Amino acid sequence: MNSDLSSYFPIALQFILAAGFVGLTMFVTHVVGPNLRTRKKLKPFESGINPSGNARQPFAIKYFLTAILFVLFDVEVIFLYPWAINYRELGVYGILTMVIFLGLLLSGFFYIIRKGALDWDQ
Amino acid sequence: MNVLLTLSIAATLALFFGVLRLKNLATPVIVIGLLASLVFNAMEWNNTTSIFNDMMLYNNFTVAFASVGLFITLILVLFYSELSAKHEFHLPEILAIMLFGTVGGIVLLSFRNMVMLFLGIEILSLSYYVLAGIRKQNVYSNEASLKYFLMGAFSSGFLLMGIALIYGVTASLNLNEIAGYVNNAKGIVPPYFLVGVLLILSALLFKVAAAPFHFWTPDVYDGAPTLITALMSSVGKLYSFGAFVLLFNSCFIPLIADWEVILWIAALLSMSVGNITALYQKSVKRMLAYSSIAHAGYMLLALVGINNLTSGSVLFYALAYALASVVSFVVLYIVRDKKGSYDIASFNGLAQKNRMLAVVFTISMLSLTGIPLTAGFFGKFYIFNSALQSGYYWLTAFAVINSFIGAYYYLKPVVAMFASKSDEEITMPALSNSLLILLGILIILIGALPGFISGVI
Amino acid sequence: MFTQLVWLVPLFPLLGFVINALGFGKWSKTSASIIGIGSVLLSFVSVIFLFMEYSGSGQAQTIKLFDWIVAGDLRIGFSFLVDALTLNMLLIITGIGLLIHIYSSGYMHHDEGFGKFFAYLNLFMFSMLILVLGSNFVMMFIGWEGVGLCSYLLIGYWFKNREYTAAANKAFIMNRIGDLGFLLGIFLIYLHFGSVEYQDVFSSASFFSAGDAAIVAITLLLFVGAMGKSAQIPLYTWLPDAMAGPTPVSALIHAATMVTAGIYMIVRSNVLFSLAPVTLEIILIIGVATAMISAIIALTQNDIKKVLAYSTVSQLGYMFAALGVQAYSTAMFHVTTHAFFKALLFLGAGSVIHAMSGEQNMRFMGGLKKKLPLTYFTMLIGTLAITGFPLLSGFFSKDEILLSVMSHNRIMFILLVITSVLSATYMLRLLFMTFFGQFRGTHEQEHHLHESPPVMTYPLIILAFLSVTGGILGLPHITGVHHVLSDFLQPIFINNTRILPHTPELIAEVAVWILSIATLAVVGHFTYRAYALAETDKHPDISKKSVWYRLSYNKFYVDEIYEKGIVRPVLAISSVLHRWFDQFFIDGIVNGAGQVALLLASILRTVQTGNIGLYVIIMVAGIALTLFIVVFKFLSI
Repeated sequence: MNSDLSSYFPIALQFILAAGFVGLTMFVTHVVGPNLRTRKKLKPFESGINPSGNARQPFAIKYFLTAILFVLFDVEVIFLYPWAINYRELGVYGILTMVIFLGLLLSGFFYIIRKGALDWDQ
Repeated sequence: MNVLLTLSIAATLALFFGVLRLKNLATPVIVIGLLASLVFNAMEWNNTTSIFNDMMLYNNFTVAFASVGLFITLILVLFYSELSAKHEFHLPEILAIMLFGTVGGIVLLSFRNMVMLFLGIEILSLSYYVLAGIRKQNVYSNEASLKYFLMGAFSSGFLLMGIALIYGVTASLNLNEIAGYVNNAKGIVPPYFLVGVLLILSALLFKVAAAPFHFWTPDVYDGAPTLITALMSSVGKLYSFGAFVLLFNSCFIPLIADWEVILWIAALLSMSVGNITALYQKSVKRMLAYSSIAHAGYMLLALVGINNLTSGSVLFYALAYALASVVSFVVLYIVRDKKGSYDIASFNGLAQKNRMLAVVFTISMLSLTGIPLTAGFFGKFYIFNSALQSGYYWLTAFAVINSFIGAYYYLKPVVAMFASKSDEEITMPALSNSLLILLGILIILIGALPGFISGVI
Repeated sequence: MFTQLVWLVPLFPLLGFVINALGFGKWSKTSASIIGIGSVLLSFVSVIFLFMEYSGSGQAQTIKLFDWIVAGDLRIGFSFLVDALTLNMLLIITGIGLLIHIYSSGYMHHDEGFGKFFAYLNLFMFSMLILVLGSNFVMMFIGWEGVGLCSYLLIGYWFKNREYTAAANKAFIMNRIGDLGFLLGIFLIYLHFGSVEYQDVFSSASFFSAGDAAIVAITLLLFVGAMGKSAQIPLYTWLPDAMAGPTPVSALIHAATMVTAGIYMIVRSNVLFSLAPVTLEIILIIGVATAMISAIIALTQNDIKKVLAYSTVSQLGYMFAALGVQAYSTAMFHVTTHAFFKALLFLGAGSVIHAMSGEQNMRFMGGLKKKLPLTYFTMLIGTLAITGFPLLSGFFSKDEILLSVMSHNRIMFILLVITSVLSATYMLRLLFMTFFGQFRGTHEQEHHLHESPPVMTYPLIILAFLSVTGGILGLPHITGVHHVLSDFLQPIFINNTRILPHTPELIAEVAVWILSIATLAVVGHFTYRAYALAETDKHPDISKKSVWYRLSYNKFYVDEIYEKGIVRPVLAISSVLHRWFDQFFIDGIVNGAGQVALLLASILRTVQTGNIGLYVIIMVAGIALTLFIVVFKFLSI
């Protein structure tokens, strides 16, 4: 087992490259682009209306709920892709597995609807 | 496997009964699910099965720990559905989440792969985060949930980092292969590996609420609904310690010289911080929270000098602690329900008003103190015996001294119950009443005949 | 044959406890007392059978009921040992216990918790029987803790009084210090002998040489246990406070039986103690010191029960002194006679208190001789027995102790002789202040004075009879008669090769006799003049008395020293830690408690709400520390 640090080098390199690219682009755009800092320009844009009050106001939890549920179902749907690619190879076993999986997903969907999680007006 | 399936199906069914306006069916389904899984669990005895290509292994160790976990969960479900039902709109969900947590716990008792360890911990913890915050309108409950979640997320991060480092060195997540690597290395492993072990150790210490990773415990145990605290402190501890024993027993024994120092420092700190801070508490709930830190310290003692007695003594202690802590939290819940405060003063005169309640509570306090002829005494006895076998004389002596400090604060509510007067009547629903009596008898019975439990594994 | 049924002995009181506990409040006082007394009676009868069978065969027997604790290769049986020592203790416990149960049915008759009282008493009997019957140290420990619990419950029996519950707590906590020593001792025994069964331990003790460090450690730890239970310096202050319990409890638990458990334990493990000369020396010194100091304190106490309590501590000191010179059977002899006369004295005191409607201060008594003739007569016998009046039981047992100590250590002997002068003084003072002179109580009390009912006086008469004749058990060598008790106990020293047989010289024996008779006469004369003839001041001004008087009156300020030296610092540490962890760490950040907290808060404000951030920081610091240990290890290699 080669546990020397050098075996981690490619990973480190990738990290450096990724971070470096982001950093560099941001740096370059800041330096290269023409910038004029005025008070009006630095103010948050609110369709021309002067901003008032604290920005950190509580807002409805429904946004979070919907977003979380979206992420949940979105991620689970991704499972369909590998199955679709290997559809022939997996055969009946694959279909059955996917039916169970989608069944669970659907029952979850049914549950959140019954629970009223997607009722926006409630 | 049957156990996990039964639990998940029962929980899911309960959720659906909840939304289909069949709420009354939810509790029976949960109870039947728990009973069935207890039976399935018992059927696995002496029948070691490997699940999912060595991801999990269901053996006698699992069966023994899981039966305790399932039994205590069942008791708490019954208490919850009788005592708390009137306050609770979300009863089916709560009971279902308790069951999901149990699923995570059983994964923790049977994992053979680091991924399953992580999954188990996450399933268990996520359930507990939600349960801690189940009182949506209560600020303390919210605070408890949030704190628990944030700190738990942190510790999960450390756990993952540790697992990753170990994977980096051994190129495997399978416990047998990791154990093979450690055995071949003959005590000389690269530092990354050790760092990995210690990160996992820290994360597990967090889960069992041992000092110096205990800071969440008082706040979370205090803020969470009392019956949920009972769940977290009894079975939560049982599962985490089960995972602890399982992991360190199977993989890291050859490296004991490297991690035992940390462990005994943690044990020492937990016992002292838990006991000494508990001395000063006015609120019984907070006192029990601190005392649970101390009990984690005692249990760590068995792990310090890990040997063939460890799993038996940890199981016994966890059972004894779970029984006593369930009783004490349930009584506390009833008292608080009546008097509106967790103060020791709320216990004033309880002995006059409901003698059964007072006697059972006294038994549980005596058991927590470790008075002979209660389960708690033999819990301590086995733990100390196990530590002595490994040659930790001073640590054991320290633990014994600590357990005597405990006598002071455990007796405070007992004295209050018997020494003062009160006019308020306290009545108990029938089922909870008989359950409490059953638990009290169990504590005494296990204390009188410990041989039947301790010989199991 | 009957020995196989030995489990009946503890079973009866247990059943009595269960029945009385379940039925409390539902059944009449009569049925509660019948159950309570009946169970002890049955147990006593069983002990008699056991005794007869044992004296027929002379065979010690171990009866194992089942495997009780199993862990690895540790296997502890739930088993009983019936031998001479056990029988000696069993007879005392059930016999005296029976008398005190009968007495209680009269004494406690007006108490509302009558059934509860009997339930507790029966539970105590059960635990005490387990303590002496067990065939291994763990069983002894179980009984040991059980009697501690019962003692706690019974001291705090009148729990509505705050002071009484405080006394109960004190007794419990002090006892737990002793228990700690005992428990550690048991662990050490297990480590070194691989077993906790008496038989295994004592038969393999001969492999150790005298003065072996392990044996010394074990015996010292066991002795700490004995110190707590038998109220020796420095753990004796709980016993006088334990007088808060009802008087029969004081008689049974805090005079006749439980407090002698420490002596039983040492006699039981005599093989080990004989191998540890250092421990024996310590026991001797502590025993003599306890005997002397508590006798001095007893001189000035005014509470009749407090005097008896300190007297008990002092007598226990005598017994330990005997143990310290390896006179084990002598100690058991004194345990036996002391059980007779101290139970008698306490019950007599109870009868006085009963007559005085609860008054315990001797300064308000006096002249009770005529009103309570039976009580007076029996108390007189008890007092004479304890002071060593010739031919009464205390005379023989105390002189035997003095003789054994004399042949071992002259200084200790002299101190013990002085102590016996002191004990004669305070006991006669008690007798004269209570029964002689003029009545000093209120008018109502005088009107109310009455002799106790027969259920209370008959036990007194029986105990008085025993106090007079108890000496037959151990007639001195000089009479040419066999020492009955010593012969009876001989089998338990079979593994002990280190006890030196010693026959006191005739001249020494006679000298000690003359000495004790002479001192008794002199002391009797002076105390009679000081307390019976002279007028007793009802409200003496303590501050005008001599330093010595004040020291004694205030019990050498030991309680205050413990309070300041131990209790306060522990509470202070606790409070500091509380402030540190709870207020500083948890609330302190937000409230800005202290510079450090503020500094941390300013750093942490950016992270989160402050609190949780700090938690995480500490957690990370913990992990960093953990990792640091690894780094350190790798650097140091």
